[in-house]
Amino acid sequence: MRALYTASTGMMAQELNVQVISNNIANMRTTGYKRQQAHFQDLLYQNMRRAGSITSDQNTQVPAGIEIGSGVKTASTARVMTGGNVSATEKTYDIAVQGEGFFRIQLPDGRTSYSRDGSFDLDSQGQLVTRDGYLVDPGITVPQDARSVQIAPNGTVQALLPGQTQPQVLGQLQLARFINPTGLESMGDNMFLETASSGPAIDGTPGDQGFGKLQQGYLEEANVNAVTEISSLISAQRAYEMNARIVTAADQMLSSTTQMFRG
Amino acid sequence: MENALLIGLSRQTALAREMDVIANNMANVTTNGFKAREARFSEYLMPVARADSFQRPDQRLSYVIDSGTPLDLSTGAIEMTGNPLNAAIKGDGFFAVQTPQGERYTRNGAFELNAQGQLVTSDGHAVLGQSGPITLGPEETNVSISPNGTVLTSQGERGRIRMVRFADPRALNNVGANLFASQQPGEVDTVSRVQGGAIERSNVQAIVEMSRMIDVNRNYTSVAGMISRMDELRRTAISRLADANA
Repeated sequence: MRALYTASTGMMAQELNVQVISNNIANMRTTGYKRQQAHFQDLLYQNMRRAGSITSDQNTQVPAGIEIGSGVKTASTARVMTGGNVSATEKTYDIAVQGEGFFRIQLPDGRTSYSRDGSFDLDSQGQLVTRDGYLVDPGITVPQDARSVQIAPNGTVQALLPGQTQPQVLGQLQLARFINPTGLESMGDNMFLETASSGPAIDGTPGDQGFGKLQQGYLEEANVNAVTEISSLISAQRAYEMNARIVTAADQMLSSTTQMFRG
Repeated sequence: MENALLIGLSRQTALAREMDVIANNMANVTTNGFKAREARFSEYLMPVARADSFQRPDQRLSYVIDSGTPLDLSTGAIEMTGNPLNAAIKGDGFFAVQTPQGERYTRNGAFELNAQGQLVTSDGHAVLGQSGPITLGPEETNVSISPNGTVLTSQGERGRIRMVRFADPRALNNVGANLFASQQPGEVDTVSRVQGGAIERSNVQAIVEMSRMIDVNRNYTSVAGMISRMDELRRTAISRLADANA
């Protein structure tokens, strides 16, 4: 009975849906996290009586044919790249991007990754690094005796050096954009990698056309909405249960068939 | 005597088919833009002998056959997703999609951009505008889709999503992956409105499907019981008649 397999594809899809939702909820407090959404598609159909086929010599047609579908598959778990709320942290090296754009992060293996998480710090050499100690690209080095480091909305990093009254420019932070940010590959640790579907990175200065502005002393929260996630979780769980009921019902039908002739 | 068995069998086959349809609807209860199908049955009258000269004319027997699985074209729930590239249709139009097999139609508005900036479905098929695919440039931001289907960015209008309507939408064929194929070309739909940042969910009504499932299950079991009893009857008859001869 096909219903058994069809319903099992439904159960598998809902299981994946719950996985995606639980990952969103688990990352509710992750800086710069972008929520994912599972999208599903129906599977192939078996055409047993084609709509529009001729039923008589008078050219009468079948108005609606018999098409039996075979279940569901997962099409994508696309990320929703909308901005999250920004919350004040009052830390000097916490930076939120307001608008589009990713920070470029230099990975230890030489590759470049992209992140919305602007919770940076200084390492022992005074270089601006992420929480994992990876260098922010382009590199900013803050001298040991620098005071009151200021990061302007356009990414210019300035600091007061001893014996000087005018702040000195230490460097310029840059952002990268993608034509299709949904196509980025998630590598964990709040970072993304460029792929063929995201398109090449477009570098630019914060505040330029299409690029967001930087905000020092703030962090971007996850764009997960708890209420939406919980209501999706409830509907996914119920959908799972109902598909399981179909499996039970199909099983009962099969068992009544086998019990028709006992003896 | 076999007639009762065969009529019961025709009912069971039809019910098993209906169960397949229900299972597919339930499996797609969270599929965007999915349209449920329902199973329709008709009576099949067995032709009887025409001549009236027989002593006992043929009995009219009626079997069940499945005549079609028409689409339920009601609109599913429209959910705001916050993704500006998503679009839901308010009305009875369809989005036109360019696939390698030709033009296909869908109600699933979970669109994305590809690396070339083209508006595509989650399978990468281009969404057709009124003058071909809609392409956005790399520097464009603030994408939104207006109620008449126009895609607006910071650079102004980038094209208008083409919506298509069909004189007989029930004749559409499912080809999987949320797409429909049509034998007749559709006409441009200017009546339907687009809701940007929203997705049309599946129009499967879970409660209706569940009660239909229970109904099918019970019916199937009772027909199975009927067939069993017919079998019992025949067995008894055979053994009685055999006894009489002995």
